[in-house]
Amino acid sequence: MNPDDLRYHREHTWVKASGKKATIGITDYAQDALGDIVYIDLPEVDTDFEINSEIGEIESTKTTSSIISPVSGKITEVNEDLSESPEAINDDPYGKGWIAVIELDDISELDDLMDAAEYGKFVEEESK
Amino acid sequence: MKLSVLGAGPGGYVAAIKAAQLGAQVTVIEENEVGGTCLNWGCIPTKALVASSELLAKTRKLEDFGLELRGEVVPNFTKIIERKNRIVNTQIKGIRNLFKSRGITLKEGRGVFLSPREIRVTARDGTQGIIEADKTIIATGSRPLQIPALPFDGKRILSSDNALTLQEIPKTLLIVGAGAIGCEFACIFSALGSEVTIVEVLPRALATEDIEISGLLEREFKKKKIRLLTNIKAERVEIKDNSVRVFLSDGKEIIAEKVLVSAGRVMNSENIGIGDIGIRKGSSGNISVDQKMETAIPGIYAVGDVIGGFMLAHVASREGIIAARNAMGADENIDYTAVPFAIFTSPEVASVGLKEHQADEKGIPVRTGHLQFRSLAKAHAIGEIEGLIKVVSDKQSDRILGVHIIGPHASDLIHEAALAVSRGLSTKDIAETIHAHPTLSEVLMEAAEDVHGEAVHVLKK
Repeated sequence: MNPDDLRYHREHTWVKASGKKATIGITDYAQDALGDIVYIDLPEVDTDFEINSEIGEIESTKTTSSIISPVSGKITEVNEDLSESPEAINDDPYGKGWIAVIELDDISELDDLMDAAEYGKFVEEESK
Repeated sequence: MKLSVLGAGPGGYVAAIKAAQLGAQVTVIEENEVGGTCLNWGCIPTKALVASSELLAKTRKLEDFGLELRGEVVPNFTKIIERKNRIVNTQIKGIRNLFKSRGITLKEGRGVFLSPREIRVTARDGTQGIIEADKTIIATGSRPLQIPALPFDGKRILSSDNALTLQEIPKTLLIVGAGAIGCEFACIFSALGSEVTIVEVLPRALATEDIEISGLLEREFKKKKIRLLTNIKAERVEIKDNSVRVFLSDGKEIIAEKVLVSAGRVMNSENIGIGDIGIRKGSSGNISVDQKMETAIPGIYAVGDVIGGFMLAHVASREGIIAARNAMGADENIDYTAVPFAIFTSPEVASVGLKEHQADEKGIPVRTGHLQFRSLAKAHAIGEIEGLIKVVSDKQSDRILGVHIIGPHASDLIHEAALAVSRGLSTKDIAETIHAHPTLSEVLMEAAEDVHGEAVHVLKK
């Protein structure tokens, strides 16, 4: 299930905001579609990213895929544990599999993202 | 016909054998050992080291293959170098035997032109002799380029030659230059346990390859914890008792046990008397030749690294064959349209023909097709899924203009693509050819299909 307290981007990333700080990751649907994740190319701390831009790449045994930023801002922290155990994204995409913390440029960007119910429907449509 | 060859590397020795096959009475003059840089200091010894380091890397993945290790696998560098030396020596004997069987005379010593028809040979012990020849092929090769700021001392500041005679694996290694040589050594020493940093003045590793290939290699470097610093120059060094302190152009410093400088090569065109007989050199010291490999002096040819250009062993050999045939009366031109490149990083990189950005620069409309090795079942079976192939084809004619590979066995896979480029085959020609399953060769077939969005093992876009 997709947690209710997150916002979702159409490129299958999620945001959990608290004030100007936002944690981001990829959704359960995305990790399932990718299959076993073997490597993640993490963004660098202090880099600025625009919404909808590529912040890193994920390699699974099936494919290599871009991670698209759901928001604009500066990376303040990345989940270094993923370098050693990228499978945490498969096991716990909304918890231990978080990817980075971003300091938001504009919190109103969150309004344009989907809530859990909308994202659930979006995924249903996309997988038809 | 008396023909002499100056230098017994892959340009010279192949030219000598070809000329002997065509009936020439051949003398080869070599200052060091037959086989040249390729066999003694380049292609072959490094491949021996790559084999040891890759096997070691594989043992680190034994568990993935369901194998238990009761103990530990550790590299013994002395033995790795001994193995390398055995391989090199076997090949040296091979070339010497080929010479013998073809009646080729090997004169050991340094050759200097006295006139277009006479070469004075000075042996190590100082004895001199004169070789007279109707025609000569110059194949004197190249050597590592020394940067004034980083002078080789063979102990702390190493050339690629020195790196092959190290006694032990350095704990930390700084490599200057992320070209083919630098990247190969980075993979070798990183797998053997060195902590490796590469500094490159250009914006990316393997800057002459396709940008997507460089990008993927850089990601593989990250996985191996090879640190790559781009757009940075090593400006100055301070040699300490047990380390080298390197000052970089961004103001930072790196301390390493050894520094390997692989920033290019210079042609061995000095002190062989060619200026005196009227042979012209280009701005980089390269001997100027025409498409028949002939210099400005009739009957004197030059091939391989000393003429500049590709600086690849297999190109030198090809040029040697063309020169030998022309010296023996043929009228052939060299053709460089389909020269394969192979770089023995981990994973390997190989390419042939046009890159996408080159096509854009030339205004040629192209299509591209891609395939990731991880789409192939065989890649999973052998546990090497990292990699990518990219096909560049002419939008109008569908002819394959270039193919770029990073992945397992890329250096072996490139030749089907080289044939396609050299013979003007289309993506359809490759796609319609049945490829055995399961093999890595399926990458080219599927990437050729992907040019038209028809690859079977790619999800619909």
